[in-house]
Amino acid sequence: MNDPLPLAAGSPSWDWLIQDDRVHRTIYTDPSIFAREMNNIFAATWVYLLHESELPEPGDFRRAWMGTRELIVTRDEARALHVFANRCSHRGATVCREPGGKASSFTCPYHGWKYDNRGQLFGIPGKTAYGAEFKARDMHLARPAQVALYKGFVFATLNPDAPPLETHLGAAARFLDEWIEHQGGADNIVVGGAQRFHLECNWKMVFDNAGDGYHVPFSHQSLLQMTNARYGGGDMSYFADADRSRMKLYALGNGHTVIDQRPDMYGNSAWEQQRPQPGREVFEAHVRATVAEADAKRVLESAVGAGMNLNIFPNLLLIGNQIQVIQPLNAGGTTMHWHATRRRDADDALNTMRMRTQEDFPIMGEMDDAGNFEECHRGLVNFPEDEWIDISRHHETGQDVADEEGRIVGPVTSELHLRAYYAQWKRLMAAEPTLRASKSRIAR
Amino acid sequence: MKNDTATAASAAPRYQPASNYVDDAFYGWLNEVSLDLDAVTTQRTGRPDAALAAEIERLLTVESRLLDQHAYAEWLDLYTPECAYWIPATRPAGDPRAQITLEFHDRRRLLDRVARLGTGLAYSQLPASRTARQLSGLEIWASPGRSDEWRVRCNFLMAESRAGKRRVLGGWYGFVVRRVGDALRLAFKQVNLLDPDEPQGNNSFFL
Repeated sequence: MNDPLPLAAGSPSWDWLIQDDRVHRTIYTDPSIFAREMNNIFAATWVYLLHESELPEPGDFRRAWMGTRELIVTRDEARALHVFANRCSHRGATVCREPGGKASSFTCPYHGWKYDNRGQLFGIPGKTAYGAEFKARDMHLARPAQVALYKGFVFATLNPDAPPLETHLGAAARFLDEWIEHQGGADNIVVGGAQRFHLECNWKMVFDNAGDGYHVPFSHQSLLQMTNARYGGGDMSYFADADRSRMKLYALGNGHTVIDQRPDMYGNSAWEQQRPQPGREVFEAHVRATVAEADAKRVLESAVGAGMNLNIFPNLLLIGNQIQVIQPLNAGGTTMHWHATRRRDADDALNTMRMRTQEDFPIMGEMDDAGNFEECHRGLVNFPEDEWIDISRHHETGQDVADEEGRIVGPVTSELHLRAYYAQWKRLMAAEPTLRASKSRIAR
Repeated sequence: MKNDTATAASAAPRYQPASNYVDDAFYGWLNEVSLDLDAVTTQRTGRPDAALAAEIERLLTVESRLLDQHAYAEWLDLYTPECAYWIPATRPAGDPRAQITLEFHDRRRLLDRVARLGTGLAYSQLPASRTARQLSGLEIWASPGRSDEWRVRCNFLMAESRAGKRRVLGGWYGFVVRRVGDALRLAFKQVNLLDPDEPQGNNSFFL
């Protein structure tokens, strides 16, 4: 590969790589940039790990990731959450080989070192072989500098200087609150399994698309044509002439953005917009029979998505009723986790319908996007002399405007989303953050 | 799909064919079948005679071949009007009422998927996946209390080639086969991948 290596060159010019209306291909393809992202973005800012409902009981644990760093998240007997590295203090072996489950302790399979479910070392076979110097060292499993929750959403960062999580979420918090409200409140959300996909592309291809209101009639043409032919239109057909729609795209600061589909999706009835799910008629009859007429619309609409694509930089995407998580693997590989949600207050019929609704888009829409992300990556790799990725849509039309709340609001096909998150990406990549993990004893 | 027009008349005219069979009892039946298909047992009661076993094996062979040929209309004709196609996201399969699946389709959504692929604009299948399925370890037994219905389990290995990349998918299929008039039809197909809980590649065709 004849890639210019902007980092190896000694003084990368972030202003050259990230311009207002175009970005350089190497930020997607260059392993040294990816390595810096894993520190400056996927460790130095708040990264989403998991939803609290995934660890309902004391003793529950689940693997999670900050970029390429693997963590274990646990709930202890006092119901407190703990986050620590899946890396034995001895010789580095992973102490946990399972994606999740229940455990009161983790024993390293290699030499038997034992850690409790707070990551605290409590047993070393043949301990008399160690001396005073060893015993003076902190040998507990490494914990990120900061862990914080926002209404059940668990985040962590290795950066002790990162601003408080609420400050980081900023204007995105209001949309996250509205997404949570669609689910009936923070305590009402229960994650019910995940669909996972491997993509042969850089993680930013996924983030790029998450706020892209331009691609829908093209990338999803097959889905829209089918929906039109079979049902006379429906879900997402309002994207056909999106700039004339009532939908808006908002840049919320700190790289967060949202496409608010609600003015169109919920304009009349979001339930009526939905493509027919398996069991739709049975469910609708059940709701009409069991719920007062005035409430029926609200209940039916809680079976369909929240009507926004809320993108919390760098790895949390709320789409429909799903909690989507981006896990970068390397410059050209990404895993996507689509966590489905159900409602604690719902009956089985409603939660079943939520599952069937959440399965619609991944198989009928996301697959085509994923194919396009992979082909984007292939295109960027296969012709290095063509250096730039254009992100200038609506940059020169004057239609991206600041509103009274300090957000920037643009037409839904504006590439404002890319420009906004790349501004944050550039700030973070140019910084020299402190990254810290603690191996000390937890204060009881 | 002439079978569908008969059931289409009653409900909301916008969503054809109407789908009134995916109710709680249907899910209960699917869960019962799913557990039975994956039961640890050395003995199945109600083994078919040789002629019937051969007929069922032929049906599965044709089902596989039609998928390999992308002959989706003919493929769907092998299924009963009130059928289900289910790819669990976990192993063993959970209850699809409470857990997300990789895919769960009634006949109507199977028709949606066939129509989508048929537009020629489904970019995840441009070019289309070429597949060759190998089935083995076929077991057939009668559905409890029924003389017109059988349950089937077999392993599958699927070689896939698309856009210059080769993959092998594997696992086991579960089927429910039912006698409808003179013909045998499939009422249910469950695809149990080896690794449904691991990140999946482009499975936008039918497994």
